[in-house]
Amino acid sequence: MRQILLITDGCSNVGVSPVVAAAHAQSEGITVNVVGVLDQEEAVDYGAPEIHEIARAGGGLSRMVAMRELARTVQMMTRKTVMHTIQSAVHKELQQVFGATSLEELSPDKRGEVVRVIDELGETSPLEVALLIDTSASMKPKMKAVEEAIHDLMLSLQARQGKSRISVFRFPGSRHGAECAQVLEWTDSAAGLPSLFAKITMQGTTPTGPALMHVIDFYRQDKYGRDNREETDGMRSGNVG
Amino acid sequence: MATSVEPRLAPGTVIAGKWNQNRYRIERLLGEGANGRVYLVERERVLYAFKVGADAVDLQSEVNVLKSLAQRQRGEEAFLVDVDDYKGTDGREHPFYVMRYVRGSSLSDYLNREGADWFPLVGFHLLNKLAGLHGSGWVFGDLKLENVLVGDYGRAQLVDYGGVSEIGKSVRQFTEIYDRGYWSAGSRSADPQYDLFSYAVLCVQLFEGKRLAELTRTLLPQNRVPEELMKLIQGNPALKPFAGWLRKALQGSHTDSREAAAAWQRLAHRPGKRRRTRTPRWMRRLLLGSALLFAASMIWLIRTGL
Ligand SMILES: Nc1ncnc2c1ncn2[C@@H]1O[C@H](COP(=O)(O)OP(=O)(O)OP(=O)(O)O)[C@@H](O)[C@H]1O
Repeated sequence: MRQILLITDGCSNVGVSPVVAAAHAQSEGITVNVVGVLDQEEAVDYGAPEIHEIARAGGGLSRMVAMRELARTVQMMTRKTVMHTIQSAVHKELQQVFGATSLEELSPDKRGEVVRVIDELGETSPLEVALLIDTSASMKPKMKAVEEAIHDLMLSLQARQGKSRISVFRFPGSRHGAECAQVLEWTDSAAGLPSLFAKITMQGTTPTGPALMHVIDFYRQDKYGRDNREETDGMRSGNVG
Repeated sequence: MATSVEPRLAPGTVIAGKWNQNRYRIERLLGEGANGRVYLVERERVLYAFKVGADAVDLQSEVNVLKSLAQRQRGEEAFLVDVDDYKGTDGREHPFYVMRYVRGSSLSDYLNREGADWFPLVGFHLLNKLAGLHGSGWVFGDLKLENVLVGDYGRAQLVDYGGVSEIGKSVRQFTEIYDRGYWSAGSRSADPQYDLFSYAVLCVQLFEGKRLAELTRTLLPQNRVPEELMKLIQGNPALKPFAGWLRKALQGSHTDSREAAAAWQRLAHRPGKRRRTRTPRWMRRLLLGSALLFAASMIWLIRTGL
């Protein structure tokens, strides 16, 4: 299972549309979730429509939240998306095995069995989450909350029985026009997560779309990811019912 | 597979189960949370709690847990009574389950009404409930004030099994301030110590709720450590006698939850230390009574001239 989690606070303003980019991700089996971070006082969420559209195109969830809600939101979204991915896979099996189009059509006993399998897969399937962080100037006061949320997410993923790892990207990448840069390699441990954004200069445009494309590319080239997908597929065709 | 939340069921509505054909009459709403609504219902003159979920999978997960508990905890009165679907006014099927109705009040209401003297005993009952779960291979997970109901004589009962997780897996659902990870005190893997940690926070929440809220608002994440909770514990007269026990809970060093419950009970029985705010009325009456009796017998002795 692969996810991209985009954390931003405004509208993209350069390059390919992030909605198109998210649709690309979805077509590669990568789910895109989006969290919009509001300032404490900020009442109007002018980035909201775009945020919701990106998530819809990426098959994921979107939420606008205050900084203090960020960690909890990121954690819950990731978990929900895992369950959702598993459920859609199991859904296909349901149709094939039971000829049922929804869980509710099954007798309570069968349903219990199916959900047991869903829960089991949700806990054990390998999971990769690439976090894509908006580091344009307006995000500056929010970076502490972002770091905390990343740390918190790692803590939750570590408790899973399945292999789980995260990687962190930021955009824009640098002053010299790069759209996106990796700031943390794949890791499965929260221990000593470095202070990720301490030294970087935060300025420039908001190339959300190009940055998303960059992360999709990164997934595409990643060999570990390919092995991972095979594992998941193996489990899917396994023991439902 | 997600089920839309059905509009509230009005009192008097009769719900007929699709598979088992049981009929329930809605009395009133008992509570609602993130995962659904719980109603008080009646079937053949017996009251039950009836839960309708917002999500079919989540609800079924809870049912699976309750079923497995019922299997492992034979002998006790069954908690899970019925599992079924009904057709809502919106024409859709809504899964529900029915459980024993727990008559009781929230922990804080109970202590406000009956007196803080009940706290050690209620705590002991609660710890026993947790130890029972642990013994069957489960962790409660989302232990918090809202998920505890207290009945007569301080009998505590856990409600909301949405967070119950198998030992060794990840905790399915938790609430930040009760979470061991949030306080940089350990993982989110389900182990008995996870519940005992939440139990310690619950004690703090009960007696130092305001200060706890203040802490979570002001502390930087890197300073969110159990030592901060210990400070609140040390400063509170009701919690102080349990400080040693609570410290172990916050550090995860209670090795066995049965043993932890027993240790709690020993502290609850320790005489003296705890300060009595006032003599209870029954004791005052008793004292007055015996004084009168004493006076009467003196008079009688004097009258009869020894
Ligand atoms: N068996 C029961 N007997 C009496 N009251 C109950 C029972 N079960 C639940 N309740 C009441 O209903 C409320 C909501 O139930 P529950 O916590 O199961 O819902 P939830 O949607 O899972 O909530 P949460 O958001 O906390 O997960 C409880 O706080 C409690 O007051």
